[in-house]
Amino acid sequence: MSRRTRFAVFAVGAAGLVILFVLAAFRLPDFGGRFHPYGERAVTSAIAEKTKNVVSSVNFDQRAFDTVGEELILFASALGAVILLRMVRREREEEAGEHGYGPADVFDALRLTGYLLLPVTLLVGVYIVAHGHLSPGGGFQGGVVLGTALHLLYLTGDYPALARLRPVPVFESAEALGAGAFVVLGLAGAGLLIPMNSVVGLEVGCAFVLVLAKFFEQALLVRTDDAGTEDS
Amino acid sequence: MVQAAIAAPVLIAIMLAAGGRRLPRPVVDAVATGTILAVTVLLGIVLATALRHPVVTWLGGWPPRGGVSVGIPLVADPMSAGLALLVAVLTLAALVFSWRYLVEVQAIYHALMLLFTAAMCAFVLTGDLFDAFVFFELMSVIAYVLTGYKAEEPRTVHGALNFGVINSLGAYVTLMGIGLLYARTGQLNFAAMGARLPGQDHRLVTVAFALVCTGFLVKAATAPFHFWLADAHAVAPTPVCVLFSGVMVELGVYAIARTYWATFAGAVPGARPALAFLGVVTALLGGVMCVLQRHVKRLLAYSTVSHVGVILLGVAALDHDSLAGAAYYLLGHAGVKSALFIAAGTLLNRFETLDERELHGRGLRLRASGAVFLVGGLGLAGVPPSGLWAGKAVMDEAAQRAGWWWAAPVGVVASALTAGAVLRVWLRVFRGVGPSGGGTAEHEDSETGPRMSRLPWTMLTPGVILAGGAVLLGLIPGLLHGVSHAAGLFVDHDGYVSAVLSGGAWHAASAPLHPWTAAGLVGGAAGVVLAAVVAVLGLHQPVPRILRPVIDRLRAAHSGHVGEYAAWLTAGVALFGLLLFTA
Repeated sequence: MSRRTRFAVFAVGAAGLVILFVLAAFRLPDFGGRFHPYGERAVTSAIAEKTKNVVSSVNFDQRAFDTVGEELILFASALGAVILLRMVRREREEEAGEHGYGPADVFDALRLTGYLLLPVTLLVGVYIVAHGHLSPGGGFQGGVVLGTALHLLYLTGDYPALARLRPVPVFESAEALGAGAFVVLGLAGAGLLIPMNSVVGLEVGCAFVLVLAKFFEQALLVRTDDAGTEDS
Repeated sequence: MVQAAIAAPVLIAIMLAAGGRRLPRPVVDAVATGTILAVTVLLGIVLATALRHPVVTWLGGWPPRGGVSVGIPLVADPMSAGLALLVAVLTLAALVFSWRYLVEVQAIYHALMLLFTAAMCAFVLTGDLFDAFVFFELMSVIAYVLTGYKAEEPRTVHGALNFGVINSLGAYVTLMGIGLLYARTGQLNFAAMGARLPGQDHRLVTVAFALVCTGFLVKAATAPFHFWLADAHAVAPTPVCVLFSGVMVELGVYAIARTYWATFAGAVPGARPALAFLGVVTALLGGVMCVLQRHVKRLLAYSTVSHVGVILLGVAALDHDSLAGAAYYLLGHAGVKSALFIAAGTLLNRFETLDERELHGRGLRLRASGAVFLVGGLGLAGVPPSGLWAGKAVMDEAAQRAGWWWAAPVGVVASALTAGAVLRVWLRVFRGVGPSGGGTAEHEDSETGPRMSRLPWTMLTPGVILAGGAVLLGLIPGLLHGVSHAAGLFVDHDGYVSAVLSGGAWHAASAPLHPWTAAGLVGGAAGVVLAAVVAVLGLHQPVPRILRPVIDRLRAAHSGHVGEYAAWLTAGVALFGLLLFTA
């Protein structure tokens, strides 16, 4: 199929999608209406269970099974990143023993910012996880902050320190532990918001560390590959 | 009980992922297989219970109060419980086959297979549209990883990437549809959403149905959403193909049927012709593409496309008997196709190639695999008393009553083309018939590692049992009755809604099915005879000149270019919407 035909097929389809959405927009409810069927139900149920944060109540209690599924998606994605981004035979051969993991040249300002922000960001992550049952935030959001915080070291260019702080097998096991604990808590029943938030934070944080680690590894590998081809 | 069947494989998978690398491989195999065996038993009990009385479980203790709930139910009716059991049985076969076949894989492979099983079971058992979407995503993510497992080869990465991109696009469209429905009804539960549809604008309802179904149609590999399937099947490890073709793809059709009857029943008049049109096109296109392949796995993949088209056509009649026929057909197809993939895996293991011409006459000594190919080919052709034959006879009778005289011939053509291709492979590879030569000497990874002196029983028995069972399915009278009962409950919208939302009774009148009719036997015979003709012609005749431009065009359309696939997907959504509004 030529580029033009492909674009034509897509354009016809996209136009059709637009028309479908316009058709779906007839008889919309009035702006600012008072009809909020789900909101009312969810809030009433949360208050009946004496949960202060309705969003957490929906996530970890009322629709906990969805959250289990989403957790497992993240878990499976991290496993997938570990498997699919493993160093495959071909790359190992081409690499010819040359690693590019030493400290890199970065601006001093960047280096300083990274080192200073690392503890602060970790603290913010813990805070967001710990207060998930009270205020906006929770395990998912806090976990992402925690997982990315470690990679501030990547910005500083201090790859050896990053590798020491982030032993991949430990994070793999911790991730599995978090996911398993969450499934068990989910089965155990309602009202366990604080432990649930914590294990979600653990799982999400570790999963992000794993995924980012694997991607950075690939990026570094590619760089050494490039160097190899230039030499030859 | 139902929760345990989902939670057990998840927990074991997590443990295997955490500590499996320290365990020796036989222990990992035993743990994974034992878990799935336990899940199979559990789901068998669930099915037996559901046959007496469907079971609705509200998770986390949030039962509906006054007909509304904020929680998520698992609904085990005979259809969903039966499909979950099929998932478990096929996983069991795939894992046993993997013992000696995938020697190089580690515990993460087993963890992923267990998670995959749990995801598929949760997907069929849930009674909540958004929850179904979550597990649709989980199942897809795992499927991408399993497809790309042999990431050493660029082809594998290409196939897995196409699969991932197209399925994710489909999932986005489904999510948009869920959003539309949720915004207007404030509900995510199938039953509760359906209860609020009557007052809604019919255009909104139709658009939402089109969008929600798109992701499921992509999963079901319905034309023009089918392009990913062959690319993914050609590169995925063989045990994974067993699960993909045997049941994952069919779950797309199940989801469409579930969404229709639980939520949209009667609200989308265009659904019948629109789904029937897509089913017919898919059945025929898949059949033609199947005959044109010479890579055995790719050939089997297109045959799946074709047969799932037939199943979609059976569902599209939106009628009790036809749905029962489709379910029976699905069961028969699952057995036959899984067995064929396993047999293809033994070929790859022995000869490191799946090129049909390269394999000419080399399978003479592989008696068990040859028998599976012969029986599988005949099963696909619809030889009585195979499950495909019984299902098709029942579907055809229902179609005849509805005035769809063309449905039976479409089914026969699909059977003849796909079975003809498989029988051609049997003749050429296992009997050495026809001219030799013309093969490409391109070798594939044998997936096994060091060569074994002979094939172990773990690589033969699952295929033989599955193929044998599928061919005898039509003889089990209790099964025919059970499937009819399951379909009767499935199409009872009011019963579903009252059982889920208020714990009401859910009974259905089920009429016994009769596949042993004159028309059914004629259909079966026609399928077998035509398949034999296709097979023999395929051995000796090149494609007639007059058809060449068309066929070249078809081949060119299945290019492997993911941008083209995405363009077709977009156009497909528009086409489906147009059909729903105009037909």
